[in-house]
Amino acid sequence: MPHIEIEGRRIEVNEEGFLANPEEWTEETARLLAKAEEGLEELTAEHWAVVTFIREYYLDKKLAPMVRKMCQATGFPLMKIYDLFPSGPAKGACKVAGLPKPDGCV
Amino acid sequence: MSDFLKILENEIQIAALSFMAVVYAIRLVWLFRFRNRKEMTFTAGSARAGAGYSLMNIAMPRAMESTRKRPSFYAQFVVFHLGVAAAIAGTLIIPYAPGVFEIRPVMRLFQAVIAAAFGVGLLRLFRRLTNPVLRTVSSPDDYFSLILLILWFAAGVLAVPNRPEAGEWPLILYFGLTAFFLVYVPFSKICHYLYYPFTRLYLGRSLGHRGALPPRGGKRAAAPSAKVRA
Amino acid sequence: MKRRKTGPSGVVEAPLDTRAQARAKEEGLPSVKDGRLKTYEPGDNVAKFLDLLDRRVSRSLAVSLTACVHCGLCAESCHYFLARPDDPTMTPVWKADQIRQIFKRHVDWTGRLAPWWVKARTLRDDEDLNRLKNIVFGSCSACRRCTYNCPMGVDTGLLVRFTRGLLTELGIVPEGVFNVSRDQWETGNQMAVTETDYLETLEWMRDDVRTELGDDTVDIPVDKPGCDILYTINPREIKFDPRSIAHAAKIFHLARESWTMPKWGWDQTNFGLFSGDDKLGAFVARNVYEAAERLGVKRIVISECGHGYRSTRWEGYTWAGHEQKLPTESVVVTLKRYLEAGRIAVDPARNAEPVTFHDSCNIARSGDLVEEPREVLRRVCADFREMFPNRRENFCCTGGGGLLSMAEYRPLRLEVAKIKADQLRATGAKLVCTMCHNCVDGLADVIKHYKLPLRVVQVLELVSNALVIPGRSGS
Repeated sequence: MPHIEIEGRRIEVNEEGFLANPEEWTEETARLLAKAEEGLEELTAEHWAVVTFIREYYLDKKLAPMVRKMCQATGFPLMKIYDLFPSGPAKGACKVAGLPKPDGCV
Repeated sequence: MSDFLKILENEIQIAALSFMAVVYAIRLVWLFRFRNRKEMTFTAGSARAGAGYSLMNIAMPRAMESTRKRPSFYAQFVVFHLGVAAAIAGTLIIPYAPGVFEIRPVMRLFQAVIAAAFGVGLLRLFRRLTNPVLRTVSSPDDYFSLILLILWFAAGVLAVPNRPEAGEWPLILYFGLTAFFLVYVPFSKICHYLYYPFTRLYLGRSLGHRGALPPRGGKRAAAPSAKVRA
Repeated sequence: MKRRKTGPSGVVEAPLDTRAQARAKEEGLPSVKDGRLKTYEPGDNVAKFLDLLDRRVSRSLAVSLTACVHCGLCAESCHYFLARPDDPTMTPVWKADQIRQIFKRHVDWTGRLAPWWVKARTLRDDEDLNRLKNIVFGSCSACRRCTYNCPMGVDTGLLVRFTRGLLTELGIVPEGVFNVSRDQWETGNQMAVTETDYLETLEWMRDDVRTELGDDTVDIPVDKPGCDILYTINPREIKFDPRSIAHAAKIFHLARESWTMPKWGWDQTNFGLFSGDDKLGAFVARNVYEAAERLGVKRIVISECGHGYRSTRWEGYTWAGHEQKLPTESVVVTLKRYLEAGRIAVDPARNAEPVTFHDSCNIARSGDLVEEPREVLRRVCADFREMFPNRRENFCCTGGGGLLSMAEYRPLRLEVAKIKADQLRATGAKLVCTMCHNCVDGLADVIKHYKLPLRVVQVLELVSNALVIPGRSGS
């Protein structure tokens, strides 16, 4: 199973860098994933607003939320989501929130 | 000339050729039982232009990156197939128009072309035996066809002077192999010359209909310094 | 010829994963129950495979299967082999042989008489079928670059799709392929986007553009009859990045276009192209054509997607047995028309960074658009530069053929993407523009993996950036 090593911690991920065991996600995991995969040195309150929303939505509905819902819930315009997470809502924000990779050719 | 050689040069060739023609006809019938789907879209180019361009592929080495990057490979292809054409012509000239080979320069030219093809055949055999990709994919038929063709070219070089009184074996070998090929070819990869018009026609029509071939306008697509990745 | 050793095969040995199929069966999904979406059943799959092979092979495929002379010229046209030159199992000839040998053994005659002589081979069991799955789904993006480089005209790209189709009919597919096919059968779009999500996203983008232009007349009409244009999109634009919808809406508004999007039949992408399933291909394409006819439009316009363009503009009509009646074009061609007619005004200085263009396989090799995107880019960019090779000889983004949905093949795909990375790096550009959503993600993966200083953009974004909006100054 592939993994990433960061700050002495080892996180199991799938081939695309998404968390292999979504149940094992913690806030610390998020911080490390953000650093390793998105190049984000730290997560601001705005990052957390997005990540928390995604995580709660996923735990409730077992699905990744549409980016539109992310924008509605956080009040951020679409451009802001891309500013916060360079890889975008699916590959960036959802990954940091510990979701499995969304289906589809993406 | 012995009676055996006379029959070999004439009747046996005709018999073998007839066999090949019959098998080819059956092959084409087999092929035509497969159907192609009807085209249902507006064209963005011309199926005819695409087909023409595609069929001319053998005469346009700069059209494909693969032949553009390996000009010596293409040159070998030309020499080899000219040799095939010359050797086939020889099997018709010797029995039916022997006067042609009595003109020494013509006979020498045929010998030269067939000898060059012989040389290329050896190069190609070496390649097929040493190139890892070809070793992995080649079948016994691939090797056998090539080896026999090389032998046929050698026989052709020796047979083309057409001097049965000096020893009949080159002519027997030459015509014997020709008859063998005529019978063997329809079951072998050598049959590719029968398929060539079809593959190129269908590909050309389809891509021509879509306007993908022939390439239109624009500057050259190849790298300014086309380095071959060997 | 340099003597080279043969290295290990890069073919990924992924087992057949049927968990998603099992779930679909449990849930009693309609497409599974009525047999549109096939699932794997242990049994005589080899016999079924051979029967399908015999029934489905077309004349052009039959000649592609028989005409190969094993010359090996295709090898160096394939990015899989160029990146792994010690691995003959990455060559098009070897990959095509995996189905060709079976054809020779069971359909062709020499192979039936003396199989070993022509290297004809049979399949023994489902394990063999799974191996074949790994080869045709995992070691090839069906980009058809080899097809263009074959002296005989053998169409290996099409042979790979054909083989995929046979395996799809038996449910022997990578899990990602099953999932996306399931979504497209069940919901009509590749990403299971609901109608509510679709409509709400359109409204959201409409509102964004209204705010941006300060113009309340901006609209994204849905199911409006009698318009000139039906605009169809990629579900990715709804699910992940609707900015392209906003760009299109803005441009259509400024060009005073008469346009609508359909409520059903808006997905121009088509997983049937990748899975080899003509039935799925027909279903999705027909949705678009029927929407166009239902709404009485004059033209179908396809947003930027490579396989979507090829499927909706070209293959879909054949799959659906639907005679084309309406012009069907890429939005890039629409943009070109606007620019040439002066319906929108642009200033290329607004796209100052050096831009290069990546030709999508399904558009350049299997379609007709090569010069058109360039003509648009030259008008909206200050510094456009070609990559080499380009046009029909360009290399696949490496994410084609549905590979982006198949995680198990990702490491190999990124390894062989070295060829693409080198090509991109050599341009010195900051932006790489492509007219395909798949390529956007494929190239983004390459850029991230090889740490290239590039960003991927699409044509709509560059045109939108360059717009000179009457009555407003600055960008």
